[in-house]
Amino acid sequence: MNPSNAQLLQLAIATPLGAALIIACGLPKRFSTKLAAAAFTAPLLIALWLWSQFPAENAHQYAYLSTTYTGLAAFGISLKLGLNGIALPMFLLAAIVGLAAGLYALRSGAERLKLYLVLLLVMHGGLLGVFASVDIFFFYFFHELALIPTFIMVGIWGGRDRNYAAMKLTIYLTAGAMLSLLGLIALYVKSGANSFDLIELKDAVAAQALAGHTQNWIGGLLLLGFGTLVSLWPLHTWAPLGYGAAPSSAAMLHAGVLKKFGLYGLIQIAIPLIPLGLQHWAWKLALLAGIGNVLVVGFVTMAQRDLKQMLGYSSVMHMGYCFLGIAALSTIGTGGVVLLMVAHGLSVALLFLLATSIHHRTHTFDLSEMGGLAQKTPVLAAFFVAATMAGIGLPGFANFWGELTVFVALWKFSHALTAVAVAGVIISAVYGLRAAARVFFGPASEQLQRVTAQHPPADLDWKEKLPALILLAALLLFGFYPKAISQPVDQALNPAPVTLTAPAR
Amino acid sequence: MTALNHAILALLLPLASAVVIALFLRQRGAVASWLSTGVAGAIAALSIHLLLGGERFESSVEWLRFGAFSVSLGVKYDDLAALMLFIVGFVGFLIHLFSLGYMHDDKARARFFGGLSIFMFSMIGIVLADNLFMIFIFWELVGFSSWLLINHYHEKQSAADASKKAFIVNRVGDFGFLLGIIMCYWANGTVNFTELGQDHVFSTAIPLLLFCGAMGKSAQMPLQVWLPDAMEGPTPVSALIHAATMVAAGIFMLCRINVLMVPQALEVIMWIGTITALYAALCAIVQRDIKKVLAYSTLSQLGYMVAAFGLGSIAVEHGGHQMLLAAGVGAAMFHLTTHAFFKALMFLGSGSVIHGCHHEQDIFKMGGLMKKMPVTFTTFTIGVLAIIGMPAFAGFFSKDAILYLAMTKNTAVFAILAFTAVLTSFYMVRLWKITFLGEARSDAAKHAHESGLVMTLPLVILAALSIFGGTWFFHSGIYPKLAGTVALLIPEAHGSAHTTILLVSLAVMTVGGGAALLFYKSAATDTLEEKFRFGFSVLTGLKESFDRVYNYYVAKVQQRFAMVLNFLEQIVLAGAIIRGLAGFAGLVGYGARALYTGSLHAYVYWFLLGAVLLWAYAAGIF
Repeated sequence: MNPSNAQLLQLAIATPLGAALIIACGLPKRFSTKLAAAAFTAPLLIALWLWSQFPAENAHQYAYLSTTYTGLAAFGISLKLGLNGIALPMFLLAAIVGLAAGLYALRSGAERLKLYLVLLLVMHGGLLGVFASVDIFFFYFFHELALIPTFIMVGIWGGRDRNYAAMKLTIYLTAGAMLSLLGLIALYVKSGANSFDLIELKDAVAAQALAGHTQNWIGGLLLLGFGTLVSLWPLHTWAPLGYGAAPSSAAMLHAGVLKKFGLYGLIQIAIPLIPLGLQHWAWKLALLAGIGNVLVVGFVTMAQRDLKQMLGYSSVMHMGYCFLGIAALSTIGTGGVVLLMVAHGLSVALLFLLATSIHHRTHTFDLSEMGGLAQKTPVLAAFFVAATMAGIGLPGFANFWGELTVFVALWKFSHALTAVAVAGVIISAVYGLRAAARVFFGPASEQLQRVTAQHPPADLDWKEKLPALILLAALLLFGFYPKAISQPVDQALNPAPVTLTAPAR
Repeated sequence: MTALNHAILALLLPLASAVVIALFLRQRGAVASWLSTGVAGAIAALSIHLLLGGERFESSVEWLRFGAFSVSLGVKYDDLAALMLFIVGFVGFLIHLFSLGYMHDDKARARFFGGLSIFMFSMIGIVLADNLFMIFIFWELVGFSSWLLINHYHEKQSAADASKKAFIVNRVGDFGFLLGIIMCYWANGTVNFTELGQDHVFSTAIPLLLFCGAMGKSAQMPLQVWLPDAMEGPTPVSALIHAATMVAAGIFMLCRINVLMVPQALEVIMWIGTITALYAALCAIVQRDIKKVLAYSTLSQLGYMVAAFGLGSIAVEHGGHQMLLAAGVGAAMFHLTTHAFFKALMFLGSGSVIHGCHHEQDIFKMGGLMKKMPVTFTTFTIGVLAIIGMPAFAGFFSKDAILYLAMTKNTAVFAILAFTAVLTSFYMVRLWKITFLGEARSDAAKHAHESGLVMTLPLVILAALSIFGGTWFFHSGIYPKLAGTVALLIPEAHGSAHTTILLVSLAVMTVGGGAALLFYKSAATDTLEEKFRFGFSVLTGLKESFDRVYNYYVAKVQQRFAMVLNFLEQIVLAGAIIRGLAGFAGLVGYGARALYTGSLHAYVYWFLLGAVLLWAYAAGIF
């Protein structure tokens, strides 16, 4: 336990927040962009370093622990930071997507760029904080810190329907967050640990588990709250609308990283603390996720004509796999979900980025008006195809491993739901390939010919290519070498495996 | 370097080639094409070196682990893999060579050769895989490379549609395949081929689910619809992927999991193969496009292989003992091998014809190419003789092995396959006569020219293999090394059965070929269409029936279902529930009402105020 590494972890979170503060205080624009670029980059460098230094054994314990007293000791709250085997890949995900979103924003030419950067930096800091928090109060606090800038960014820089989208987003996500906060507070009260510290909570539960019915209602509260935040069917309708309206960098960070907060909470907090409560709800959760998220939303995705809406719905669909993996309540399932969270975060961020790049060239998100763009922009087409293939689970990209392990785990839970989930793979191939074909292949559409006559489209330039390359490289790295993630996750899960078997059917 | 390293090298070289082309050679088609071809040559050399080295080995490394579940990547280089690697490496190299000429003027040459390299990587992964998870990984990757290469002329709507269809239909097959793999994993605790061979549970569902994968990849009924459309890709792609290697991967995979087979599953497999063979042969008779004829012919031959596999084992005398011989595996792999040679030859020959005729593909607009393209004509003729089963040619031996197996196991299947053989020689001779004989019937055919050496050399080599490829298995010193234990599995007729089979195969060849030779005249119209309008339209309808059903399903069922769900989603969920929730939030109080009216900042201030108050209270300020 190297003290300097613990300080580095603190630094990783403080850098974007500090930079946001400095820029907000009136730093001139030319310094602001440089500072922001540095503040987006530093956390990734630190995260990579911490990843390389992560102890090979005992990944279930937290490394890089540090505690800062905040004056909230009376409530058992302190700013306790650290990473275990599950938090580490998520922290890395936040750092990677944060850098990509930041780089894309820096060159996006948005109006009021400084405010945009400030909000994005706050969001980035909050996201890093979420996954580094050992204290579940701060886990929640950092989530709010990242969430509020999202609302504002949608409200100011959003596209079509931005006011309605921002309102809906706010209501749903606030309600979801409140419910999950209630659940977290209930854990604090009922566990008797008198602390929000997850390590102490786990010890308290290990000494005396919570009563079955208590676990059940806390589990219900957490699933409802987290479920809303992760777009569990039928509480998902904020997602496609919100992502459709959100500016690209905000959509990248929210869909890619912030949305995983709920799943991460279920894995890191609910599974160890209230396993019986989750078991109580497992079948209901699995049915909602399997039939609702995968099948119904899968078909709804097929019917979308707007590229961004389609990406939003497909992201809702893929969250269904994550819930199914959690419902399986096994090491394999949970591990698969962590893999899938990282993979989906990278691929969906890449898709949102590329969707915006397509819009710059076609001036529309309407799929029926596009066609034949690949002739003008082959590199953009190659990136989009790669991202689509990642999204539909082609081996070689990280998503494949996540989906495969979730399917394997799910078979032990229910054969029928496994078949439903695997059928989802066909559905995603249908809409994914259809979108790629509509945008890029076939003869050029009239609309495209008209637009390109006025603005000859250039292929992907470096300011778009660099963030896209970062995301794609990460997808391929984890796709070719999944052990980079699976090893710490496996170690984190295995010392205290979820010993429950699936309920008898 | 050990043999294992050579095998790994053969796997990774094409991946390296693809990466280099994608990163650095996108604008340099010439360099990319030579790199890719060089790598293919190296693979061919490695495959022959490994084959003749005689070493057989296995090795694997764990690639992912969660708890007790792990996925490994490994190499299983046995005789089956050795034979398949040779086919993929050697035929692959010849097709690369041919492509140097055929694709010389293509503006996206780098993408094409990069795609070929990705394909070689994926296909060799299937061949070397030592477990089902690994085979599935590369199974999906060949599907992707197939998509990429069918979509080569992506500005054509038909190519974009065909590639999409191929990918999705394959995914439908993979749905069953993946479920089968997962079921096999939980039932046996392993998916490693060697471990499964030692011990496994008895199950009909597992082999049938796994067979779904082969139905997609090897285009068996009712998932055959993608293969004819896949001819939208460049002709070398059709030769390599959609004739010689990838579509045969389904048969290879079945042979890999032969130990899991049970009689009920085999019976299903046998019938699906038999019906596919017959159906595709009927469809081939009415095609006008030279590549489409060959595509349906491929389907039909794949049906033969699947049927052969499904016919299963036979009892043979060996050293005075009765023993069970996995004759299905032997016959299927034998035909796979000879088919790879003569079908690659004919596809490349058709490529040479298309190239020579300035991209004309309608056989009724060709004619008289015999004199203008002598090398193509001679080699193509050898291919035709091989596929219709002329004695001494490669196809004769492998088709006879299948027919003999069918005769001993199932008379109905034997009858259908024999009739299919009549149809095969009928449509192949029709194709050959209309394309090469008679007078040139269009300007393109009049100005046809023979292709260059880089294209004709692969034709000559493949033609030699189409002659000697069959006898190799039986009568040469190479064979124990070439096919090893696989060759021992090939059923051989003896005595009176031998005579019967010989007579049957000679009869079907003569009847089918002779009928076509006499019936068709060298004209710009299809004689069958003129003389038997009814029969012609029945066959055309047969060909189109599947596409009609699927198109109806996609357009009228699936898409409408999606639209209805979307409508419900927008109205019920997004409309009613959100309004209800918003109303509820409005009731709760000022804070939420402020949000509802659109003031986002208010929320921020409320949150900050709450946080400050909480902190102040905890810190004991009041």
